[in-house]
Amino acid sequence: MRKNVMTFALLAMALVMVLSACGPTPTPVTQAPATPPPATQPPATQPPAPTATQPPAPAATAAPFVFGMLLVGPHNDQGWSQATYDGGQYVEQKIAGSKMLYLENVYSGSPAYPGQTASQLAAQLVSQGAKLVFFNSDDMKDEALKFAQANPNIYVVGVSDDWTWKDGKNYTVSANQFDVMGRMEYMKMVAGCAAALTTQTGKIGFLGPLINDETRRLAASAFLGAKYCWTNVLKKDAANLTFTVTWIGFWFNIPGVTSDPSQVADNFYNTGYDVVISGIDTTEALVQAEKAKQAGKAVWALAYDYKSNCGVAPDICLGVPYFNWGPAYLSIVKTAVDGSWTQGFQWNAPDWTNINNPDTSAVGFNKGNGLSADNSTKLDAFIAELAGGLNLWKGPLNLQDKSVYLADGAAATDLQIWYLPQLLEGMQGDSVAK
Amino acid sequence: MKKNTWVNLGFQVGALVLALLITTLILVAAGAPPLKAYLSILSGAFGSTRNVVAVLITWSPLLLTTAGVLITFAAGLWNIGMEGQMTLGAIFATGMLRLFEHAALPPALIIILGILAGILGGAIWAALAGALKTFGGVNEIFGGLGLNFVATALTIYLVFGPWKRPGVGSMSGTQPFDQALWLPTLPGTELSIWSLVISVLVIALVYLLLRGTHFGLRLKAVGKNSKAAFLMGVPTWQYSMFAFLLCGAFAGLAGGIQVMGIYHRLLPNISNGYGFLGLLVAMLINYQALWAAPIAFLFAALNTGSVQLQIIYKLDSSFAGVLQDLLVLLVLLGEGARQRFIKKN
Amino acid sequence: MNVELKDIYKTFGAVRANVAINLTIPAGTIQGILGENGAGKSTLMKILSGFFRADKGQILLEGQPVIIQSPADAIKHGIGMLHQDPLDFPPMRVIDDFILGRKGNLPMGQAEAVQDFKKLAEQFSFSLDPETYVDSLTVGERQQLEILRLIWLGARVLIFDEPTTGISAAQKEKLFAALRLLASQGKAVLFVSHKLEDVEGLCSSVAVLRQGVLVGEAKPPYVTKQLVEMMFGKAISVGARNPCGVEKEIVSLSKLSVEDYRLKVRDVSLTVHCGEVIGLAGMEGSGQGLFLRAVGGMTRTVGGKILIDGRDLTGRSYQTFKAHDVAFLPAARLEEGLVPGLNLTEHFILAEEPKGFFINWEKGRLLAQRRISEFNVRGTPANTVESLSGGNQQRALLALLREQLDLLLLEHPTRGLDIESTIYIWSKLKLRCKQGMSIFFVSSDLEEILQYSDRVMVFFSGKVTPPIEAATLTTEKLGELIGGKGWPTKPGEQVSESTSGKGA
Repeated sequence: MRKNVMTFALLAMALVMVLSACGPTPTPVTQAPATPPPATQPPATQPPAPTATQPPAPAATAAPFVFGMLLVGPHNDQGWSQATYDGGQYVEQKIAGSKMLYLENVYSGSPAYPGQTASQLAAQLVSQGAKLVFFNSDDMKDEALKFAQANPNIYVVGVSDDWTWKDGKNYTVSANQFDVMGRMEYMKMVAGCAAALTTQTGKIGFLGPLINDETRRLAASAFLGAKYCWTNVLKKDAANLTFTVTWIGFWFNIPGVTSDPSQVADNFYNTGYDVVISGIDTTEALVQAEKAKQAGKAVWALAYDYKSNCGVAPDICLGVPYFNWGPAYLSIVKTAVDGSWTQGFQWNAPDWTNINNPDTSAVGFNKGNGLSADNSTKLDAFIAELAGGLNLWKGPLNLQDKSVYLADGAAATDLQIWYLPQLLEGMQGDSVAK
Repeated sequence: MKKNTWVNLGFQVGALVLALLITTLILVAAGAPPLKAYLSILSGAFGSTRNVVAVLITWSPLLLTTAGVLITFAAGLWNIGMEGQMTLGAIFATGMLRLFEHAALPPALIIILGILAGILGGAIWAALAGALKTFGGVNEIFGGLGLNFVATALTIYLVFGPWKRPGVGSMSGTQPFDQALWLPTLPGTELSIWSLVISVLVIALVYLLLRGTHFGLRLKAVGKNSKAAFLMGVPTWQYSMFAFLLCGAFAGLAGGIQVMGIYHRLLPNISNGYGFLGLLVAMLINYQALWAAPIAFLFAALNTGSVQLQIIYKLDSSFAGVLQDLLVLLVLLGEGARQRFIKKN
Repeated sequence: MNVELKDIYKTFGAVRANVAINLTIPAGTIQGILGENGAGKSTLMKILSGFFRADKGQILLEGQPVIIQSPADAIKHGIGMLHQDPLDFPPMRVIDDFILGRKGNLPMGQAEAVQDFKKLAEQFSFSLDPETYVDSLTVGERQQLEILRLIWLGARVLIFDEPTTGISAAQKEKLFAALRLLASQGKAVLFVSHKLEDVEGLCSSVAVLRQGVLVGEAKPPYVTKQLVEMMFGKAISVGARNPCGVEKEIVSLSKLSVEDYRLKVRDVSLTVHCGEVIGLAGMEGSGQGLFLRAVGGMTRTVGGKILIDGRDLTGRSYQTFKAHDVAFLPAARLEEGLVPGLNLTEHFILAEEPKGFFINWEKGRLLAQRRISEFNVRGTPANTVESLSGGNQQRALLALLREQLDLLLLEHPTRGLDIESTIYIWSKLKLRCKQGMSIFFVSSDLEEILQYSDRVMVFFSGKVTPPIEAATLTTEKLGELIGGKGWPTKPGEQVSESTSGKGA
């Protein structure tokens, strides 16, 4: 009995010692500004950067530049996460001596990291030497900002975020942060066009992830592309085109939490929708289309995010609008390496001279085997029109609740597009969560 | 007596060594040099202040759920439903904060109300499992599992429905609370000293309760032989029920701390598997409250430290989980072997 | 060697272990020393063998007074003792243990010792290998080794303290043969036991100790009843009727009906006075168990009334009955009565009304210690209940009962226990009856029913006789009733009828 009490007392004492030894004691910063302080430095003692234009100290160029990446899904998901991962690899190739670290499956409540938030995981990357951390998902948006503010000596890239967009609604001074996004809207229009050209039933399904500004504007872009090609290329009545969005609740399937994207896709195919445009990170729309096709249905799908995504089911794939993060990542990392970093924001357009140029175009479109030769030609013509300045985000356009979004002839501003409050008139599906 | 102690120790150490051995084999198979891998776990857990803080952040709720398991197990109950109880704690805490977010009350008061609401939520959910068991004859394992599913469904409904972020429909969670309502944390970290202190107090309380009080002794009697306890005058179902309530309160507290201290919002899977992890810890320490704190700390360190294995060796993120499960499995097997050994001798 | 103990006194604090004991053991006899635990047997023997000094009194060997100050002294005088629990068996060879303790004598070679050992062993037909290690021997073999060693050392008076505990039947036979041989060689043998059977079968004379006093001696042929009376005292003479002396109604049942899915027991009316023992007889499952539990509030009644000590407790819970000083001891001791995994101290704390929030462990341990010795439980406060023998578990259950009790309900109180435990337990129960407690007990042992009941109720598939005076019953008559014979066919006659199936 007494022995137990003694043991307990000793343990308690040991515990107290551990706690007191490890508590963040404020130690004065003594490092010269040229060398970034180690990651273990308690961030609170670091004064926040005084102005947005004053970047953190440049990294020493002699040592290899290590950057980290937090991926919302697996690095080989053939979708969003793999596209950003490839972007990181592009940087590794272009900057000699640079090295990428990554953690995958990082999202709120991920069972892979009980109790650990994205900013804690970013710190784990930093402890392995990362000087810059990509937060690759909208799911980590708050965490990215929190981490950036708590770690002014680490560069943070918020992929798809808008914290550093001066004109944006959420602009925040965060000197060591840079947000980046590609203008996927164009490629979604192309996808919508391909869907409209192909559909036999006039019913197009959009497999949506969660609902937010980004997903609304992308779904709307696909709709605009589809409507344009339906009415202007095929000369059909807009009333005969059905465009329905179904949201699953997250970027990918989380069993028991989100709707099952396979079921949602099946539902489309079973209710007369013969083309489904995927808006989620993973490949369920294609996989289910392939199955439906084998069951004798004439159906197609459009993939998303990753340039080789059609490979999952090539024959029913009409094409894939994809992100090509390499060039943007490279330009950002370069500024971190050479010390020319500034807080900033990029919403990068495709290279209209060649939308599939891996070194210049932020977004692209790879056609799939499912696209007929005739439609392929028509699609090329549509892409050429876009390159020539065709703007589909132009009035008259109403929102889903019939309120005026753009008056006749008015072109949408970037702000209007980015923060699209609802789906557009003519689209079916929820604009906001029920 | 003395000989038995050595035999016990022998079997426990044997199980640990075996677990280490198998883990090492797994590491080798995955192409990671074992020694370096273990060192990197250590550095991932203790290599920097920030890492230790991360370990402590995980330790706190794990202590709470372990404390809950210890109480219900003393009463002979398998409270599998702790995940759900934690979730309900999170829901109630979120609800309370949302209710008073714009009220003219001092934030500290709202925070305390939130914590209390969390405790209440967990206790209510546990009481449901307890009532199902006591009055409905539903085994607490099935009742608990069922209620876990209901709790998850309820969270998803709230996150996508009434409590959604304006204009957003994502399982990323509800609108974050006003920063004034966050559980105060050490500057620049997510470690709340309050949550740490409360957790340590709770586990100490459970130790004392089970070790030195009439309540604890009677609870154990109910757990080991409820018929005899009944004949000795212990109101057995009331004690079972109370064990559920207490366990639920601890789980709810953990859930409340998750939303108020870590995530600052409600999201699905808010319980993070802490309920099951607590069960593992309790099994590993053979339900001896004395060891809860160090072993829970070890688990927390493993969870945090093994992130480094992913970064360096690109091991799968489930590695820490596998290691923990292995440890518990082997210790349980060792315990079985020990009992056979003792019977034979 | 003749041994004489004269006027021996020994006290330990307030406990008088030996009081004015006079006993003579002639050479060539086996003297039994009988008594329940704590009667003072071991103390007396330890005085004789030099472990204790008597406070007063003399020891005479062959008529000469001797002073024995240590066990070594005793062996010098030819007195050797085999202890109940041989304390320590070091990992040494049998032959080394054999030689150990021989000092002052001629230095002798091991070969010689081995020769002596083999000769002695042969004499007693013990098959012990001198080269094996002591810790590999069984308890019986260790006894044999100890006997040989003491004889070799020259013992002429041999004391055996509870030697039949923990040895096999075959070893017991061998031991008894050895004891008889020792006696025939002219040695004085003292055989200390609480087992009547052993004493009766072996001893040429028996001395009985009770509470430190030598209460009597007996010679064969022994009368068991007489020995039992001497052991436990006449005051608690088993079977004494209605001993509480006050006419107080403890239990009053009127038209009590109780049923389960299988059986209906109808309209039992009965009044039980304080101190009365009601035996419930019948084949297993004839309704007596159901009835017993109904009287304790553990089975819901379907009609009639139960009054305990004048208060109507009909339909109340067991907890209420318990609060009104009713207790129930189940037959399944480890399944229903005790909590495996908890120790005796924890049980005593559980059984008491909790005072305060924290447990006073020291107090609990002392309480346990007191009750353990009071009820002769073989065990320590730290023993878990499952480590106790059946008899000790039953004693522990009795010891757990609160001091204030009006009614005790027992299921098979002595099932599986030996005769000593049975007698002991009933002596304790009767003592409580004398203090005013009434008993209902179920038993399938007809003798037990007849011996300990004041009145008997017989159950046969739900039918029940009115209470019958035990004195008017014989085993045969009881057996017939239990078997369903001799029941009156018309209702309202001798036996109240309970219907099975139809309403009353």
